[in-house]
Amino acid sequence: MRRETQHVLLLLVGGALLRIAVDDTYLRYVRPSHRWLLVGAGVVVLGLAVVAMVSDLRGHPAGARTGRMSEPHPHGRVERYVPWLLLAPVLVIALVAPPALGADAVARAGTRNLVVQDADVFGPLAEGAPLTVAEFVQRAVRDSTGSLEGRVVTLTGFAVRDGAATGLARLTIACCAADARANRVRLLGDLGVIAPDTWLRVRGTVQSGTATAATGYVPAMTVTTVDVVAAPTDPYEY
Amino acid sequence: MVCAVLLGAILLRLLAGDVPSAPALRTAATVFVAVCVQALPFLVLGVLLSGAIAAFASPAVLRRALPRGTGAAVPVAGAAGLVLPGCECASVPVARRLISQGVPDAAALTFMLAAPAINPVVLVATAVAFPGEPLMVLARFLGSLATACVMGWLWQWVGRAEWIADRARRGVTATDGANRWGVLAETARHDLLSAGGFLVVGALTAATLSVLVPAEWLDALAGRLLLAIVVMAALAVVLALCSEADAFVAASLSTLPLLPRLVFLVVGPAVDVKLIALQAGTFGRAFAVRFAPATFAVAVLCAVGIGSLILGVR
Repeated sequence: MRRETQHVLLLLVGGALLRIAVDDTYLRYVRPSHRWLLVGAGVVVLGLAVVAMVSDLRGHPAGARTGRMSEPHPHGRVERYVPWLLLAPVLVIALVAPPALGADAVARAGTRNLVVQDADVFGPLAEGAPLTVAEFVQRAVRDSTGSLEGRVVTLTGFAVRDGAATGLARLTIACCAADARANRVRLLGDLGVIAPDTWLRVRGTVQSGTATAATGYVPAMTVTTVDVVAAPTDPYEY
Repeated sequence: MVCAVLLGAILLRLLAGDVPSAPALRTAATVFVAVCVQALPFLVLGVLLSGAIAAFASPAVLRRALPRGTGAAVPVAGAAGLVLPGCECASVPVARRLISQGVPDAAALTFMLAAPAINPVVLVATAVAFPGEPLMVLARFLGSLATACVMGWLWQWVGRAEWIADRARRGVTATDGANRWGVLAETARHDLLSAGGFLVVGALTAATLSVLVPAEWLDALAGRLLLAIVVMAALAVVLALCSEADAFVAASLSTLPLLPRLVFLVVGPAVDVKLIALQAGTFGRAFAVRFAPATFAVAVLCAVGIGSLILGVR
């Protein structure tokens, strides 16, 4: 690969990192705090490319010398072409910008909720309080004080297929979308037909005793209202 | 050439119209981009450190910093891993540069295995993910440190210098004062290009496998300790999670005993598909085909040994 090509490649990589960090695109892939790492990395990558271009243009002795160092290695054929692969994420980001994980990822993660063993005492809830789907599942599975019993809560998530019925799900990520875990809730009530991946805000009450090992820790919720809402800017829970 | 590829891709976009419609492909594409953009900042940190070592840490300085005998240098290098807060991608270029600056192979490889597994960020993340099990943090720390040291001593005992490709040893010849920043930038640029390409190979593999590996694997494991250990070790390799995130995934698999989950945490930062690709690119294929399976075996044994001592069989 010629040096000029390497510079263009690095400019593209740095540009792609900055591109997803300037708006909310990066939230589809990583957690919010990662934004500054992306900005920093993008700036450094652009900087490395610019420094090398400037030093090449000046015919700088150091650039030329270390340039020789990097070029004519007796690399194998494979190694010589590997830097080209850096184009792959750039192209995928520029052309496809894949959406946040949704119903397909939930379906792939099996049928059970993987509940982190966190606490067994939770604070009291206000009537109609908005909860994350993860906390709703946590409380339904673990809470020994029964704070959810008879309590109307509001959940936001996307529709998934639950057998023939519709369920609600949301993904929790720790670092990036590769480590996403699904939290599902069964929805009981007349919902009509809702396509998977439709974002919903549901109000309802947990049906007691449903989040057990037998149901795979998937609580059921008796739904009073369902609203179709716009996808949130931040599609994951943390 | 780049322009041609871009033009071709844009044409393809216009012809194909929309986003790939197959859900599996979309999920894999998201995971691919996620692994890339998650790991790239840490790789950039790694190549900058690598450049700084090339420019500012002369072989003489590094020799003074380490104990004279390689046997003693190995645990020191392992403990030095405590101070590099990053994911595993950062440590590969750093280890390569340490080798080219004359650090013994065994010590550099120990550092490479220890740094991503025992740095403070990872240990804190583990403590947060396992709030009721403080011993998990200790077990992870000791298991990973033991893996790194055993691999270092093993390399010193049976490893051969020629398994590491010559290009990994080639240092930067010019460190004549004024031009050190130039050396830093050029080294970082070069390392980023070669390691970045291999990172993409790893991300592609991880994305593909994340779609192909069925979740039912995990459901079948409850109550079978030995099988659970084997499957969790294999999952750590194929999923290629960031070492700062794997504890949360392990914590969520609460139907499994702690021991297989510890194996998952010790194997993951030491050997996974992304790291195998990076190591093959950095040190050569002859290195990777020997080092990766050996690390896998050592990591599983260390995790099981230390885990059953500290956590018991549960």
